[in-house]
Amino acid sequence: MTAATPRAVAEALARLREAGAALRRRPARETLDALARVLELWRDPASEPRRALEKELPDATGFHPATVREGLARALAPWSGEALRALVEREVGGPDALDGRGPLLAGGFETTALLLAGVLPAPTLLAMLAPLALRSPVLVKPSQHDPVTARLVAGSLAEVDPGLGRCAAVVRFAGGDEACAAALLEADCVVATGSDETVAAVAARVRPPRRLVACGHRLSLAAFGPGALGGGALDDAARRLALDTALWDQLGCLSPLALYGVGDAAASERVGEALARALADAEGRWPRGRIPPEAAALASRERSLAEMRGARVWQGDGARWSVVCAGDARPRPAPLYRFLHVHPVAHAAALVEAIRPHGPHLACVALEGFGRETRALARALGGLGASRICWPGEMQSPPLAWRRDNRGVLEPLARFSDLE
Amino acid sequence: MSGTSADPARHASADPARRASADPARRELDARVLAWMREARWEPGGADEARFDSLARELFAFQYERCAPYRRLCRARGATPEAIRSWREIPPVPTGAFKEMALRSFPERDTVHTFRTSGTGAGARGELHLDTLALYEASLLPTFERHVLPDLAPGERMPILVLAPSRAEVPDSSLSHMFDVVVRQRGAPGSGFDLDLDRVIRRLGEARGPLALCGTAFAFVHLLERLEARDARLALPPGSRAMETGGFKGRAREVPRAELQARIEERLGLAPERVVNQYGMTELASQFYDSVLRYPGEARRKLGPPWARVRLLDPESGKDVARDAPGIVAVLDLANTGSVLALETADLGRRVGDGFELLGREPGAEARGCSIAADQMLEGAP
Repeated sequence: MTAATPRAVAEALARLREAGAALRRRPARETLDALARVLELWRDPASEPRRALEKELPDATGFHPATVREGLARALAPWSGEALRALVEREVGGPDALDGRGPLLAGGFETTALLLAGVLPAPTLLAMLAPLALRSPVLVKPSQHDPVTARLVAGSLAEVDPGLGRCAAVVRFAGGDEACAAALLEADCVVATGSDETVAAVAARVRPPRRLVACGHRLSLAAFGPGALGGGALDDAARRLALDTALWDQLGCLSPLALYGVGDAAASERVGEALARALADAEGRWPRGRIPPEAAALASRERSLAEMRGARVWQGDGARWSVVCAGDARPRPAPLYRFLHVHPVAHAAALVEAIRPHGPHLACVALEGFGRETRALARALGGLGASRICWPGEMQSPPLAWRRDNRGVLEPLARFSDLE
Repeated sequence: MSGTSADPARHASADPARRASADPARRELDARVLAWMREARWEPGGADEARFDSLARELFAFQYERCAPYRRLCRARGATPEAIRSWREIPPVPTGAFKEMALRSFPERDTVHTFRTSGTGAGARGELHLDTLALYEASLLPTFERHVLPDLAPGERMPILVLAPSRAEVPDSSLSHMFDVVVRQRGAPGSGFDLDLDRVIRRLGEARGPLALCGTAFAFVHLLERLEARDARLALPPGSRAMETGGFKGRAREVPRAELQARIEERLGLAPERVVNQYGMTELASQFYDSVLRYPGEARRKLGPPWARVRLLDPESGKDVARDAPGIVAVLDLANTGSVLALETADLGRRVGDGFELLGREPGAEARGCSIAADQMLEGAP
């Protein structure tokens, strides 16, 4: 796809306004059914778009094909058509509310623009479908690192329902193209994803009555409690956490960047050792993909610093994964690409304090081995900002309705009126 | 500004900050490195390979014994003085290590000076502890002379205007210290530090002979912005030159080097081949300079003194990259006798002839992951 001009972006937005008007004349349930079929299509590993994505994504993004296959299977498994219907019912009152029947009136904006970032495909799929569920057409600027997914999603929409297909357009232009960005930001609702700086720059340009939905960068963590610090329980938990780490090479906001072990330094070393074995096994099944030199260099520096501190360091052949016993709970840089620090913490309360600095950016915490303490710990972590608590091995399979950033999937994109 | 013509290294025994080490092994190493620095004729590149290799391995053995954190790193890599066969096998220390541990190869009580990295961002500042300034000063001057003042006869002076705070204002800044030495040794009357942009512009406009305008890249940007705001253009006298150094980390925005050179040409009348970028860092005693003044007409590349060498490393294997491939810049600097001689920087570079060039990041590049960037993770950390 060639780079768009400002005029092409403006014309695409104009076409979407017309297509959106036509879509809103159709019953909401019809749109919802079509979107449910699209989701089911994507869940099916044998479907055309899924096979195309599995074929094209590795070259475009650098992920290993096996990682893409496993990652998609796990990410899309919970995202059924039924889950979408339930989400629409729960967050915006269902098709009746969208059609203006009943006491709650709900609807999307006339148009929605998506500024996508990152390299994971599943968030792109959901980001495109969510406004459409509210019958708001979407104008998408894909991430520079994933030129594939948005195009294939748009194609699948057109295949399932041509009218719906006319409500999605993908435009590509360089990050610094201010004129194209200005044309895109003429949309009535703007969803901006990316670094805090990127989101802030967009926010400065989107003024009411336009709505901005900001999705900044997030991070996730894991913690093993006393029940997961030895024997088969440790090996099992480590194996599942290695899967969470290996999928998407730690580039997703649901990838664990550090593991906290509640216990002494010896326990921390046991955890590190088990994790190293599990990551070595994961590398054999889902090999790590391309790594930029800057990231490899950061990983190398972090290993060197750990060795200078006298910390235990494990690494795979060719440094394809690394585990470092940090020695304390102090946050350390996260090189990503399968690099985990293991931090010792004395008890659950200390764990909460150790994680507190990450609160503003916290997405998910995987907990294992805390027994009856789990719920209280989950509440404390939720209080810090974690919007998801799960078991290791499930981090990369969030439910469709996960309230990322403590808010709904559809609500931020919707307008509501209570009819009294 | 008053100048001193004497070589600072010659005062080693008179000045406490420049006295010789009490450690005989160190004293002997320092003397050999200083002797190299005082030699009148040297050229960059691979000259004196055997001399460098021998000194580097001896210095490595010395530092391995005396610097515990460095020894731990080397042991983890199986790199002991007995196992090392070439200076290329000496493990480099990430510059970040200077932020969290004291890397001294001398007793702490002998520290006479500490240089600190600039305090940008939320992170800690790196510290280079020194038990003598003799090597630091002896290393910086001939390299500066060779690459920024190559047309000056020995002992000749030139007006040197420095856009940076003075050594008195920031005694822990290695850059200000370097400029201070340069101004004292080679600056003509009127040379010195000045950050009053209006006064600097007036002085530049009144200059009647060639001068050297030196400073941080960011100070140059401020000066250029002041000129641009007035739509003023100066034409510095023929033979003038600019030397800029440092990056833009922690600043609101970055200015690519090519853009900086173009703006200097437009507002100060200095062609890009009269603008020298210096590559140096607090943790290193030696510096590298663009070759444009020393070797006009040749490809721009970074060159340093023969007692400092650059390796370009594959970040995954830690081994030297193939000839034309980009790699992480690692520097082995024999002038770092009191700390560690081998440093791994965070910069990417590529070999150019007998030197190297630094590679910038792709402009506007966005992070691949939606996971937070590595250094951002540390924001808010205690």
